[in-house]
Amino acid sequence: MSEPSVSLPFRVTEFAPSNIERRLEFVNLGPEDRARITIIKPDVVDHLDEHVSAFFDHLVKFEESRGLMSRRDFIDTARRLKREHLIAMVGGNYSHDYIDQRFRLGQIYSRASLEVSLFMGAFHALMASIGRRVMHRFPKDPLAGFEHFLSLKKVAFFDIAIIADAMMADREQTIRQQQEAIRELSTPTLQVRERLLVLPIIGLLDTQRARQLTEGLLQAVRAHRARVVVMDITGVATVDSKVANHLIQTVEAAALMGATVVITGVSANVAQSLVTLGVDLGRITTLCDLQSGLEEAERILGYRVMRADPPIEAV
Amino acid sequence: MPVPILKQGQILIASIQAALTDHDLIQLKDELADQVGRFRSRGVIIDVTALDVLDSFATRTLRGIAATAQLRGAQTVVVGIQPDVAIAIVQLGLTLQGVATALDLEEGLQLLRRPPNRNRTS
Amino acid sequence: MRDELRVPVSRDADIVTARQLGRELAAKAGFAGSDLTLIATAISEVARNIISYAEAGEIRLGLASKDGYPGLFVVAQDHGPGIPDIDLAMQDGFSTGKSLGLGLPGARRLMDEFEIVSVPGKGTTITMHKWRR
Repeated sequence: MSEPSVSLPFRVTEFAPSNIERRLEFVNLGPEDRARITIIKPDVVDHLDEHVSAFFDHLVKFEESRGLMSRRDFIDTARRLKREHLIAMVGGNYSHDYIDQRFRLGQIYSRASLEVSLFMGAFHALMASIGRRVMHRFPKDPLAGFEHFLSLKKVAFFDIAIIADAMMADREQTIRQQQEAIRELSTPTLQVRERLLVLPIIGLLDTQRARQLTEGLLQAVRAHRARVVVMDITGVATVDSKVANHLIQTVEAAALMGATVVITGVSANVAQSLVTLGVDLGRITTLCDLQSGLEEAERILGYRVMRADPPIEAV
Repeated sequence: MPVPILKQGQILIASIQAALTDHDLIQLKDELADQVGRFRSRGVIIDVTALDVLDSFATRTLRGIAATAQLRGAQTVVVGIQPDVAIAIVQLGLTLQGVATALDLEEGLQLLRRPPNRNRTS
Repeated sequence: MRDELRVPVSRDADIVTARQLGRELAAKAGFAGSDLTLIATAISEVARNIISYAEAGEIRLGLASKDGYPGLFVVAQDHGPGIPDIDLAMQDGFSTGKSLGLGLPGARRLMDEFEIVSVPGKGTTITMHKWRR
């Protein structure tokens, strides 16, 4: 694997031009800053390896960085991008491409499980390395050295904000994906008979999950050509009005696809909540347990279950 | 672009192939009204599988088609509403009251074949 | 300032165009599944509203972001007669099946944010947003 793919959809919207300008305004980067950065440019670009090493040498001291430091491909890419980063940092052009670069770096760090806090420590080591070179340039005028370095620090802080945002966005996306996977696992659709699906729902039912449930149920109706779906909510402890409405909408949407939804397992608790909330389940069939639900479903489908032989006795 | 309407015995099948403009929908309504009378059809199936959006105008038109067909002795079944579209219709608060719906063409034909009192309307 | 698409709306074919573009844009913003259809349907409603009541207008679509969540905006603008009683127009006519319905209450239900500004004699501007969860 060479480079991790850059795929955050956030980029498109989060870093529209107006957002970049705003971020530069936040750090108060002005023309005098740009002039000073131009002056100290050689202090950065003439000593790239020194500065990049300061960053990575710092990281290697901590075992929390092992995720990044043990991967040859990650390190090589990260080092190269860091060099490009430093050159761009004093380049004066902080547009879309610049943001892209920061973003990719942030993604790499996130994928390597680098903590934002550790990243900050390493970034500081990098800035310290640059700072020493800058102060060297102004031996007789430390105040000027400080001012010049501060101008560069504005860009540095602009950068950190983007990289940190990228790392957090990546983290959040991973969490969302995991939650998605968990939700899918916890609502399996079972085909019990031809045209009959059973959907047991277990656990907390919030609007997010209810929405997913609806989509899953309808897709299952289409895939299995189901005419009846028994949705069992025995495992659901509470239902608020939003979720109740979602359930009603699910039933109505399924009807548009030619399927009847029978809700079973309405507990006393849930029944009371629904009554208190004034939710009208109208023509929706609800039954107290799964067995009744299945029998009703079979009746709708035209099945009659009869015993043909005496039951087999256990030996 | 006119919607092709197939005649299968006493049943008319309108198969919508692509997104319809309002004019196309009105044209379909008029054409079906005409053909139901001409062929004395007893059933109309409108296949909307290819439609990615069914908004208020479309659903109103479908209800209109069903009402007109009913007056001339034919039952209408809309088939092929996709999951996303079903969700949108319900969330919009629209109703297809008076129009039977089924999963697909096959289900729709079966529904029309069943004796009247077992038919389901949404 | 914001990158946006503009779709002139004056014929009913434009309604289809506007909603298809909306769907594509929503897909780019990372919306998935039923949200794409919800957005396309909402656009269909407000676009038709322009044609029915103002004869011509414009739909503007673009990406937006709020609190770090990406999303999109839809602006439907016309210079038609305006809506004299907005509260009345925003009342639900759908479920009763009675009123023609301006399609607006429906669109509001499908989107996360909905703003309507209408001046009789000058025109109507509807601004809607939907955010990714």
